[in-house]
Amino acid sequence: MSLLNPFNKRPGLNTATVLLVENEEQFQQSLANVLVEETAVTVNVRLAKTLPIPMKNDESRPRIDLVVFIINLTLDKSVKSAKASLKYLDPGYFLGKVCFMVTNARQALGCTGRLDAVRQLAVSLHCPLLFAEDQTPEGVTSSARRLLTILKVASGLVPNTTALYLSNLTRCAMPPDIDQPSFD
Amino acid sequence: MRDGRIEEILGLPPPDNVLSQGQQPPTPTINSVGEALLPPYQVYTVARHIVTLPLLRVLTSSEDPLKLRRFLTSSRWFDLLHMDASDNTGSLKEMVETVGQNGGPAAENCSALEGVLPAEMLRIKQQMSNQCFEMAVQLNAGKGKRSCSTSEAERELPNFVSELERAKGVHFNSTLVLHRLQMWHAIGEKMKQAGPDAAVLKTVSDRCMALCSQIKQLQIENRNLQNEITEIQKQRLEIKRLTHEKMKEMEGLMSSKEHPEKYNAVLEKGLSNLEKYKKMTIVTQNVLRGILLACKVNWLDDPTLRETVMTLEEFPISE
Repeated sequence: MSLLNPFNKRPGLNTATVLLVENEEQFQQSLANVLVEETAVTVNVRLAKTLPIPMKNDESRPRIDLVVFIINLTLDKSVKSAKASLKYLDPGYFLGKVCFMVTNARQALGCTGRLDAVRQLAVSLHCPLLFAEDQTPEGVTSSARRLLTILKVASGLVPNTTALYLSNLTRCAMPPDIDQPSFD
Repeated sequence: MRDGRIEEILGLPPPDNVLSQGQQPPTPTINSVGEALLPPYQVYTVARHIVTLPLLRVLTSSEDPLKLRRFLTSSRWFDLLHMDASDNTGSLKEMVETVGQNGGPAAENCSALEGVLPAEMLRIKQQMSNQCFEMAVQLNAGKGKRSCSTSEAERELPNFVSELERAKGVHFNSTLVLHRLQMWHAIGEKMKQAGPDAAVLKTVSDRCMALCSQIKQLQIENRNLQNEITEIQKQRLEIKRLTHEKMKEMEGLMSSKEHPEKYNAVLEKGLSNLEKYKKMTIVTQNVLRGILLACKVNWLDDPTLRETVMTLEEFPISE
């Protein structure tokens, strides 16, 4: 069982590959449908429930440029499974090739603990945190568009920009504690 | 056939009639990497890796366009920058060797590249160089390791990022200047040829120069006005500050006038002192007056005595 490595395969020509990891396997389907409609670049989408992924078809699998963890904030299991899957990624991925996508943030407003935990995770790993709306087609389209921007940079298709550079611009930051006294 | 082999693994039948990239209909299938092994989710059946040798090398070496296309479809990936890494060069070298031996794919693959324009190729070349750069960075990251804590790294990170941005800015400006120089050189050359376009070019370039000098003038004016505005704002701030200080002083005085509690004690003490000394002076003056009257001293003739007696009149006798 080996880790997913970002650089152990040759990249494809004008191709970007993204791996969507979601425990519930709902949003990834609709997101994948929208992502594939992109015409400027050949987008390969791979879906997975958790990591590690089996090594059976490792030969045919292209190099994965971006790993997206889709977390449903209303389910605790989602967060746990995403955290558990993180172990199976080569550390090279965390230099800008991992992204967290969070759904149902509005319904989860009551229990902010989960959102804070996910945010803390994103901050500690220096990964961007995207909020997605998965119920309406417009929401799916807009989140797919955002993901596509990050994907294009992560696969090296945008000149003069690398994933590492972009990660500095898109890193998640913890909001300051409200209880702390503000500077006067 | 290499291409057929890859497609078999993917579970798709090798196509008989390959259309060009733009015309192929999508055949979407989803790959759920779990228990079932489904074919991957792809738009185009161009699953065969069309990788290329450095395009510059290819463009300069092969004149025949058909040969060029065959080359592009059959050759394997090769690094544009030197990659000294041991993990990749071995396999790369043998792949480069097989290129020459490869008889070229079937003619059907050539039609796949009919829609490729030079601009497209340049774009792809830029992408490739970017990807190679990323890989080179990754390879060099392991070398020259120095141990430092994460907090130290966090602290240094913004400096590096700003340095990077500065370098990018400089590079962008230099490229802009370079393009401008190249363009003007080309225009100059064209004008020297004195063709029919030369007159038009000359008028256009004259207009450009006039506009540029006008722009320069306006920019100088703008800068002067901005400086003046800044000066005035500074003065305004200064005046505001002074006003503020004066207001504070006034407020201090007003408050002390309304609440003279601190001064009351001192004031009373001073007043009592004054009263005391006043009484002493009156008593002394009365005594002197009495002495003068009693001894019948002639004080009119002596000037100093006269002055002293005049001052006696200041305070009334009974006080």
